[in-house]
Amino acid sequence: MSETKNQVGTEKQNEVKPVPRRLSLDSWAAILGLVLAALVRFGLLKHVTW
Amino acid sequence: MASSSVLSRVEPLQLPKRLFALVPGVALLVIVGLAGKVLEKSINTYTKAHHMVVPNIEYVLWAILIGLLISNTVGVAEVFKPGVATYEFWLKSGIVLLGARFLLADVLKLGAVSLVLVLIELALSIAFMTFLGRVFKLSPKLTSLLAVGSSICGVSAIIATKGAIDADDEDASFAIAAILALGALALFTFPPIGHALHMSDRLYGLWAGTGVDNTAEAVAAGALYSDAASKIAVLAKTTRNAMIGFVVLGYAIYWAVRDRRQIVGSKAAFLWQKFPKFVLGFLAISTLASLKVFSPDQISSLANLSKWAFLLTFAGVGLRISFREMKKQGLRPFIVGALGEVVIAAITLGLVLAASKLVHI
Repeated sequence: MSETKNQVGTEKQNEVKPVPRRLSLDSWAAILGLVLAALVRFGLLKHVTW
Repeated sequence: MASSSVLSRVEPLQLPKRLFALVPGVALLVIVGLAGKVLEKSINTYTKAHHMVVPNIEYVLWAILIGLLISNTVGVAEVFKPGVATYEFWLKSGIVLLGARFLLADVLKLGAVSLVLVLIELALSIAFMTFLGRVFKLSPKLTSLLAVGSSICGVSAIIATKGAIDADDEDASFAIAAILALGALALFTFPPIGHALHMSDRLYGLWAGTGVDNTAEAVAAGALYSDAASKIAVLAKTTRNAMIGFVVLGYAIYWAVRDRRQIVGSKAAFLWQKFPKFVLGFLAISTLASLKVFSPDQISSLANLSKWAFLLTFAGVGLRISFREMKKQGLRPFIVGALGEVVIAAITLGLVLAASKLVHI
């Protein structure tokens, strides 16, 4: 019984969890740029000064 | 299998924790960038009030110098490092936002000129760096990394190629150190040369974008000359960055043939994976601006947001330069890189000047 439990445990340990696909830094930069452009376009971000 | 089970046990940091870890470093970027901006303004006010004639030192240089001073005296503490490393993210976001200041017609015209220059520059610099690597008896993979780093876009290209050709960590850090050292040098040499040659903003920007390796340093070298030059440098450098996938794929195939390995997967997927996606964001915003989606006031807001993003980038450029680290890497890769850079800078300068005679830039 305990052997079966151990086997299950080992199988669970060896199970390869799928690695979540992450967006690259470049993609996040593009998304941030587009979101900021949308905020400016729709008036939520106005008169940004330098 | 063993390695995959080990991998599965390593739990990545949760997103809120990862974001929280960035806060100190990003705050340091903001402080250093703002200090540069305040210093420029204060010195200008002081010299004007006292009727002194002093050359204006831009916030770009102040931010870089303050960062450089911190990293080479007290050093950048571990707690700041993750956040400081985000400077590349701000750089790319800034480039995307800068798209608002380009009409698509400009992008196509200047982009086409840049593309021709970049293709010639690529061929010549890869050939020259390979030749130098052989003369100085560097390892073939280090030579490949230096060639890619100096011909395309510095650190990102080296990291992408390292994985593709299965190069050593040591070779990659050698190549990165050499490219960063030379990028820092370009910041202080390109603007005076441009002024000495009385180059127009557009010509100088084109030269900085094709001649300086790393994107952050290319943008900074442009900004040190003028705002207009910085804009053109970004466009030329972005064109160069867009070529990264092709060059890395070329090297991957070359090394796979040499090592008798097989390239796994489709080449189109490889190209897409390596393609810098922020270029698409830049083109999207430029298209929207060309379609008059934004009012002039909104375009000015977007351009200012882009400047704020670049301010953080310039602070990061300074904070990343460590003379101690550079010294550790030894002289040979640096000499090869330096020789290559001088020749590439001269070639790109010649190309830009020749192009200005042929096409109205």
